[in-house]
Amino acid sequence: MRVALLVVLLCSLAAGASQDAAELSAQGQAKVQEKQFGEAERLWKEAIRLSPRYFPALFNLGYLYFTQQKFSDAEPLLRDAAQVTPNDFNSHYVLGLALTKLDRREEALRAWREALTLQPRNLRLIQVMSVEYSKGRYFGEAAALAKQALDIDGTDQNLYFLAIKAFQDAGDNESAADIARRAALKFPQSARANFEYGFQLQNQGKLPEALDYLKRAMNADPSYEEPFFFYGSLLLDQGQEEEAIPYLQTALRNRTDYVPARVALARALMSLRKWQEAIAELNKTLEMDPNQPQPHLLLSQIYFRLGDEAKAKIEQRTSLRLRREKPALLEGVQSRPFPESKP
Amino acid sequence: MGQGIATHNTPAIPREAASGRPWPLSFIDVAAQAGLQMHFTSGNEQSKKYIIEANGSGVAFLDYDRDGRQDVFLVNGSRLEGFPPGDAPTNYLYRNDGNGHFRDVTKEAGVGRSGWGNGVCVGDVNNDGFDDFYVTYWGHNAYFQNDGHGKFVDLAEKSGVAGTGKEWSSGCTFLDYDRDGRLDLLVTSYQQFDPATTPPPGKTSNCEWKGMPVFCGPRGLPFGKVTLYHNRGDGTFEDVSVKSGVRAMDGFYAFTAVAADFNGDGWTDVYIACDSTPSIYLRNNKNGTFSEIGTEAGVAFNENGFEQGGMGIAPGDYDNDGQLDILKTNFAGDHPNVYHNTGAGIFEDNVLRARLAVNPQYVGWGIGLVDLDNDGWKDVFQVNGHVYPELDAHSGIERYRNPRLVYRNLGRGIFEDVSAISGPAVQEKKSSRGAAFADFDNDGDLDVLIMNMGDTPSLLRNDLKSMNHWVKVELRGTVSNRGAIGATVRVEAADLKQTAVVLSQSSYISHSDSRLHFGLGSETSVTKITVRWPNGETEVFPGAPAGNLLELTEGNGKTRIVPMPK
Repeated sequence: MRVALLVVLLCSLAAGASQDAAELSAQGQAKVQEKQFGEAERLWKEAIRLSPRYFPALFNLGYLYFTQQKFSDAEPLLRDAAQVTPNDFNSHYVLGLALTKLDRREEALRAWREALTLQPRNLRLIQVMSVEYSKGRYFGEAAALAKQALDIDGTDQNLYFLAIKAFQDAGDNESAADIARRAALKFPQSARANFEYGFQLQNQGKLPEALDYLKRAMNADPSYEEPFFFYGSLLLDQGQEEEAIPYLQTALRNRTDYVPARVALARALMSLRKWQEAIAELNKTLEMDPNQPQPHLLLSQIYFRLGDEAKAKIEQRTSLRLRREKPALLEGVQSRPFPESKP
Repeated sequence: MGQGIATHNTPAIPREAASGRPWPLSFIDVAAQAGLQMHFTSGNEQSKKYIIEANGSGVAFLDYDRDGRQDVFLVNGSRLEGFPPGDAPTNYLYRNDGNGHFRDVTKEAGVGRSGWGNGVCVGDVNNDGFDDFYVTYWGHNAYFQNDGHGKFVDLAEKSGVAGTGKEWSSGCTFLDYDRDGRLDLLVTSYQQFDPATTPPPGKTSNCEWKGMPVFCGPRGLPFGKVTLYHNRGDGTFEDVSVKSGVRAMDGFYAFTAVAADFNGDGWTDVYIACDSTPSIYLRNNKNGTFSEIGTEAGVAFNENGFEQGGMGIAPGDYDNDGQLDILKTNFAGDHPNVYHNTGAGIFEDNVLRARLAVNPQYVGWGIGLVDLDNDGWKDVFQVNGHVYPELDAHSGIERYRNPRLVYRNLGRGIFEDVSAISGPAVQEKKSSRGAAFADFDNDGDLDVLIMNMGDTPSLLRNDLKSMNHWVKVELRGTVSNRGAIGATVRVEAADLKQTAVVLSQSSYISHSDSRLHFGLGSETSVTKITVRWPNGETEVFPGAPAGNLLELTEGNGKTRIVPMPK
């Protein structure tokens, strides 16, 4: 009898606390509308103190911290919210975003996998997950998700690009090429779609066809720098430096801060023994971004060939220092600048 | 980047249509029937906890008893947990008894040391006419001096070349960098390895491969160093690393070391393949010092300025323009380098134009620039093998064991992948490391010896069916070191002008036949042979009929035909 009374009492206390927490949480929500974020934070904290498992307060405070970029503060709240209400998509999703910001990719992906079971056709989530899987070098998973997105919506060309990159990263060039072909067919006026197919064609050894699609891309959008750069680079790789130069110069007219194109132009000029012109291009690159190791590397080679070993050594050391300080910078610049998907 | 090794996810470059030209050779693995039945040990073959277990070892062809036949020395590794007393694997020396058979002479020769062996380099250090050799270890290195009667003595400690014992040494090369006629020694170390301080697999971003936890490194682990020993001429060496300038270099994981006169100034330079760090080119300053000019000369990175996972080196003149070029193997997801020497030791990476960028899926190790069909143009033979056996349990396309690669030289600096038509032994999948090249059966074509991880060696006999002619050239130094290591040889036969160099180490921490082999195509004789000796002097020798081993002795100007036993 006494035990039963105690249970009833505790239940009514909990109900009361929850009710108070609901009120406080609602007040917090109102404060956010008034942009009184500090007050909202205080109210939600109080609500959680009264009822530690009260979902709206947990999520709202977690989300507030997330929007304020206080990711470490947001994470435990969002995690609790997701635990209290496992069927809530947003808490899993935002938890994943917060964990990504905290460089905890694997945990983020776990949170998103929960979210994906709740909304398996959520394209935004699928795209985000594919990109993160790819960054984590889980290329197979990234490709599978990208394909899933494309199966859901075949009318968005960005989803084709996402899938092309994912399959390319996964080493499945055949699938990447097939998706690129479908994109070029479906979006014949799209410079990017033609470019992607041209890129895949050269990977397959079909150089004339690749050049044709790159030309289509250049015609479709003469202001799009990437096909010009890539066309020029292909010619450069074939030893056609003279022919490559105009394309690289067009790429640079379209985007003056296009470092890979300027470096490629310098390389073409070096092959033609036009040392001073190459130096000028490399110096322009360094004016834009003095932290790039590659221009220093090429400058060291030019000065060495010109017989100025002291100057060459200075450039070599600078290049090495920059490379060691920021290895990822070089990898990013030198690899093909594949634009990131923007879900 | 998030991985311990330099790799770039580089796609294969398109292949051209097949040339359709005949390729009249086939490689057959005759190791077992030849008696090469030892077993290589290199840690755990199912799962590797530390990088020490992954890099394997080198192999050597050498004629230690001067009977005219190439013998075989195989460096062996170990495992971290050790072995019961008496069970530890050792190196092996096999004597070539002729008729395609080798005999294990390890014990009687006194070279059966156990331990974690890595590389081997060969040279006649005391100029007595018999080849000695040096073996690198994780621990103290060994210097086996040949007594000329079939026995060797490890003089590393006594000579001052054993090292500190703390290094993980990898490459080595004998060279005469100061032209005093005595072979000096350069030793590379991969890193300062200590399992007690090395993180376990998966611990950091340098300990994963495509999301899979694997052993850590080399990135994130302590760097290696280069040591140069000067031969005093009294049986001892002086460590001149500091005063020669080689110790000033830092920040690399060094493997194979090759000594040759790359810039044609008559002084021996050194090129070192480095893993995941810029490779090293030491230019000889002609005053006992070296300058590191890899970046400036264009051989430190690939053409896009990337660091690469450099492993093996094949120096040689692939386009017959008289300049020594450099081919280098790299990690998977990357192309090899074809550093074309444009003159005076300045290089351009021509891998795309050379069409050798068609197989980036493999981790490349041993490599040779060798004329396999005797047409007068040097072909490429490459052995491969991934470093992570764990790949075999995963669904990806990468595997631990891979086939070998053969590229024929079409002339004009262009190659063609002929792996599929080069015989069953080329298709065989192994996780290989060291490779050496020699005509072990003296039948006029080049064969291949290969180290396979956790396996027996491969001896690939080249069954060439061709009317093409050949000569071999063996040098005898008198003023220069006796084996003429570092000498550059130019052989002319009608329009064919080929250049090669006598090496102490090449491929992947291995040593190949010191007799230089030149295919002559349809030419039945050579018209002229020019030798640039390691002391810088140039000497011209008269031609000779094809099908012979030609001995050239420094200073006598005569071409002597030497019989070759079967």
